[in-house]
Amino acid sequence: MIEDEMHLVGASRPELEAAVAAHPFLIGISPHHLRLLADCAMRSQFTAGQVVFRKGETANRFYLIERGRVALESSTGDNVVRIDEVGPGDLLGWSWIFPPYVWHFDARAIEPTTAIFLYGTILREYCENDPSLGYEMFKRMSEVMMRRLQAARVRLSAAMKTTLGQEGKTSAT
Amino acid sequence: MNGPDPEIRRRLAAHPFLKGMSPHHIELLALSAMPTEFDAGQTVFRAGDPANGFYLIESGIIVLEGELNDREPVAIDTVSAGEPLGWSWLFSPYLWQFDARATESCTAICLSGIMLRQHRDEDLTLSHELFKRMSEVMVRRLQAARGKLISGNRPAHSRS
Repeated sequence: MIEDEMHLVGASRPELEAAVAAHPFLIGISPHHLRLLADCAMRSQFTAGQVVFRKGETANRFYLIERGRVALESSTGDNVVRIDEVGPGDLLGWSWIFPPYVWHFDARAIEPTTAIFLYGTILREYCENDPSLGYEMFKRMSEVMMRRLQAARVRLSAAMKTTLGQEGKTSAT
Repeated sequence: MNGPDPEIRRRLAAHPFLKGMSPHHIELLALSAMPTEFDAGQTVFRAGDPANGFYLIESGIIVLEGELNDREPVAIDTVSAGEPLGWSWLFSPYLWQFDARATESCTAICLSGIMLRQHRDEDLTLSHELFKRMSEVMVRRLQAARGKLISGNRPAHSRS
């Protein structure tokens, strides 16, 4: 938890509300929803190379990236595979949404990064109590998820074609 | 119009994707639902066609296929009994992104997106519930797709 707290930076409530309102992911959100989101929000920043979250740790939050870049990685022993990258305007982190609330991958800032930290555990409760907020947030998140899922599938099918192509060449020689 | 057919209500309530859904929400969903079946090899939808709803697969397996530039379609993912199929009806441009084909005979419930969108504004609890459930499935599939990408990539990159 110490690592979690290290990247949080202080901000006044009006600053926080302005930052939340300005983030592209939340464009057009109602003032009522904005206030609820600001209740769950904090400012955060990361230096290049700093870990944002680690696979297997409790996923109680997500981030709206304002500036910088974060890489999603998977590591086994010495091997690190970069799975994806997120940048300004993107949302980072889904595992807070459903049990077991554990990060599936590692995330590491690859540039100095500022982000809005959103406390998912509280937001989930707010969404249950106010379905209009729940609907709005999950609708927006679903769209991002769907696009990332489609992108991952396209990459996967391209990778499979390459593999199939290589296998074809190998067997031909 | 009659009320929803009790049979479709029963089938919806029995589907794992809707587990724990309130009877009132099942009733609303039943108004948008139609039973359907696919033979082995039958196309469910094609990439580029308008996406106007989604399916709850009850039995059988659907394969999602992508055609990159040329050549033969490649299987990208499968959707099995108990799972939902199809997200593209939710977001612009409302076109299917991949082909979906039954690999064995399937039974499914087709939910009309147009009718769901009408209920959506009347009942935000239902919309929240549906989007929350769909989000969970999407994230699990995203994690699985990324997992496959990693296992395909693993030997290529190493920390030095």
